[in-house]
Amino acid sequence: MADYLLEMRGITKEFSGVKAIDGIDLAVRPGECVGLCGENGAGKSTLMKVLSAVYPPGTWSGTILWEGKELHARNIRETEEAGIVIIHQELMMVPHLSVAENIFLGSEPTTRAGFVDYDAMNACAAELMKQLKMPDINVALPVMAYSGGKQQLIEIARALNKNAKLLILDEPTSALTAAETETLLSLVKEFKARGMACVYISHKLDEVAEIADTVTVIRDGTHVATRPMADLTTDKIITLMVGREMKNLFPREEHEIGEVVFAAKNITVWDTSNTARKLVDDVSFELRRGEVLGVAGLVGAGRTELASHLFGCWKGAHQGTIVLDGKEIRIRSPRDAVRQGICMVPEDRKRHGIVPLMGVGHNITMSVLGRFTRRGLIDAETEMAAIQGEIRRMRIKTAQPLLPIASLSGGNQQKAVVAKMLLPNPRVLILDEPTRGVDVGAKYEIYKLIFELAKQGVAVLMISSELPEVLGISDRVLVMGEGRLRGDFPNTGLSQEKILAAALGKQDQVAA
Amino acid sequence: MTFSSKDLRTFLSTYKIVALLMIIAVIWTFFGAMTYDADLGGSQFLTARNFSNLLRQMAITGMLASAMVFIIVAGEIDLSVGSLLGLLGGIAAVLDVLFHWPLAGTIAVVILLGITIGTFVGWLTAYQGIPSFIVTLGGMLVFRGAVLGLTGGITVAPASEELKYIGQGYLPGIMGNALAVLLFVLLVVLAFRTRAGRRKNDLPVSSMPMEIARLGAIGAVILGFVLTLNSYQGVPVPVLILLVILGVFTIIGNKTVFGRRIYAVGSNLEATRLSGVDVNLVKVMVFALMGLMCALAGLTTTARLAAGTPSAGTGAELDAIASCFIGGTSMRGGIGTVIGALVGALIMASLDNGMSMLGVETFWQQIVKGLILVLAVWMDIVSSGNTR
Repeated sequence: MADYLLEMRGITKEFSGVKAIDGIDLAVRPGECVGLCGENGAGKSTLMKVLSAVYPPGTWSGTILWEGKELHARNIRETEEAGIVIIHQELMMVPHLSVAENIFLGSEPTTRAGFVDYDAMNACAAELMKQLKMPDINVALPVMAYSGGKQQLIEIARALNKNAKLLILDEPTSALTAAETETLLSLVKEFKARGMACVYISHKLDEVAEIADTVTVIRDGTHVATRPMADLTTDKIITLMVGREMKNLFPREEHEIGEVVFAAKNITVWDTSNTARKLVDDVSFELRRGEVLGVAGLVGAGRTELASHLFGCWKGAHQGTIVLDGKEIRIRSPRDAVRQGICMVPEDRKRHGIVPLMGVGHNITMSVLGRFTRRGLIDAETEMAAIQGEIRRMRIKTAQPLLPIASLSGGNQQKAVVAKMLLPNPRVLILDEPTRGVDVGAKYEIYKLIFELAKQGVAVLMISSELPEVLGISDRVLVMGEGRLRGDFPNTGLSQEKILAAALGKQDQVAA
Repeated sequence: MTFSSKDLRTFLSTYKIVALLMIIAVIWTFFGAMTYDADLGGSQFLTARNFSNLLRQMAITGMLASAMVFIIVAGEIDLSVGSLLGLLGGIAAVLDVLFHWPLAGTIAVVILLGITIGTFVGWLTAYQGIPSFIVTLGGMLVFRGAVLGLTGGITVAPASEELKYIGQGYLPGIMGNALAVLLFVLLVVLAFRTRAGRRKNDLPVSSMPMEIARLGAIGAVILGFVLTLNSYQGVPVPVLILLVILGVFTIIGNKTVFGRRIYAVGSNLEATRLSGVDVNLVKVMVFALMGLMCALAGLTTTARLAAGTPSAGTGAELDAIASCFIGGTSMRGGIGTVIGALVGALIMASLDNGMSMLGVETFWQQIVKGLILVLAVWMDIVSSGNTR
């Protein structure tokens, strides 16, 4: 068929002699949604950066045909003028500007005198919000007044406003609640019906299966397969992505659950900006030796705030009692927590996990540097031996142990952050969304590690928004909703529906 | 194998110090040629005497820059160091000239005061959350005001002979040689202990000829340095102090937990805090170190002028900050070395010295220095490929 909207042929891009992508083909018809799947580092983002001219022509080889003609865009502005709009994983908005100002950033309507025509702009923005089924958004308010999920939809409004013919969504739902994801998916379906094409990049294969017509899988920078979704299942996509059969996503191992080692009693945490608002409201729970306790809940349920309190890094008001090994302890800072044997892998890897300019190795040893110190000086050799041990144990893929951590893929960065928090030998390990933005292979290894730790008697508290993960890993599941503990279930005969119902506070209706 | 411009760029961004030394070579060649005088039998710039002068001129800026690197790497700034230098130098002069304190007492009090004031500035920044720009901008005015009040706006002179030695003295040639030999032996011992340690932990070890070549080159530099200075009057005392600071601070930066944390704090404060590091303490310690350096720089200034003057150290903070940036320190924190900052200070001092020798007017000197600062940072950005 010649009626492709976009055809990318044999795209190859090298970084200092290493081929990041090698001869990839991608074709999109008008009104079609193509799911682009691949592990982290497979080359999806590189491919999209070639398409949107982040890497200008000449820095890569291959051809791009747009509506049958070769595309010669030299920068993002020109690709957007052609009708290709990309929405990145990280939101690209100016938080203090209003919703309307963000939508029209770079293309502000002006009056004849040359001033910004705010009336026209706000009216137009409000109209777009209606189209996106979000009529209750006040387009004159600053963007930061809205949640991450709403902001994502506002980005889509910006794309619509640019008359996009092809919308590229890069992991659009990684920060969305279930309800927001639903809205987004239905919107994409509606755009499709109107003839807009879409490239959907996501690790969440259920979403891909729901909206994609065709799926293209790439692995290690090469094209693996392009097939109609009708011929595929999520399992088949995983097999194609990984290149081997993934029989068991969750490598469960038996581990012994012992006595209670950790207890949180009546934890209450208040908002930092709105000090009257409780983000965590009187939550108590116990954690046993060798137990994996999953914490489920919707975004905004107060799970991260609870973890922050336990780790001593909540900046607002908080109260509650923490008991470790039967003794009440005080944790005023992360330093206190690490010293007492409580470690945490934070949710936001980029902001809270990695120290980007430092080497992988120096990131790993950061919490336990004292261990390698003799007469006040770090013994670089013993430190390096420990670093190499961790890199082997965690299977961190890095060319050199002291390469800046920012140059690694997300999954390998995460493994390094986990390694950092394991070196202090914690009794209790808190994992906040440990597999967010991590590819299937690295996920599997992180799961294996969790069971390994549980076997050694570490108590693991795992916060996760992916319900299959919570069900696949946990021995017991806590469900939080609106800051309260809404359920504490042993993980036997538990279903996603039951957890979701508890999170929404609708337990009884479901039971009925 | 061809050596393309891209290879050169990678090389220079990896070994920034080489690029900086090349700049120095260019500057020295230029001034060397410009000051050539056939009657006097050679270039006036490239003499042992002028080399000695040049190093003494950069010593004070160098002391400040050594600690300023850590401040900037930690993501902070200190605008008060010039004024604090003036205040501490003034106090030293008053104790020495008016109260005739013994030198040891004067030094102890001034150093203690420097560390205390630095700690206080750090506490205001780290624990009270006032941006360091504001705290030290205020400090700049407060300290300058204090020194004016203390000295009554007049010069306090003359300083005692002992104090003057710190700023004007030279090490006897034999001691300079002895120190050079000692330093070289120390470096050799360290190199072989590192090799042994790496072998013990099954880590790759560079080949023996490479190691010997490296140590030989270092030995030649040390030897050349000491012999040149000895052929004039010996190693100047302020230069010796600066070299000791360079050694100690380089070890702090590379080999201590504190040093590692300075870089971590500057690269990502939150992630460092969440790794269980007391980040506020790190910041306070960095400012305390800055206070200590202000004390040393103040003592040296007073000793060099043999007097305490109310305007001593005016603008020194800008020279120190410029030295850091010329030496490859990143404005955003997390990147920078002490040796780089000192080479930056040497570049600034070379420009001052060379232009003065050529009789260039002061206003031109300022213009050139300003342009060199911007040029150096621009080159750094281009060579690391960070242009937008």
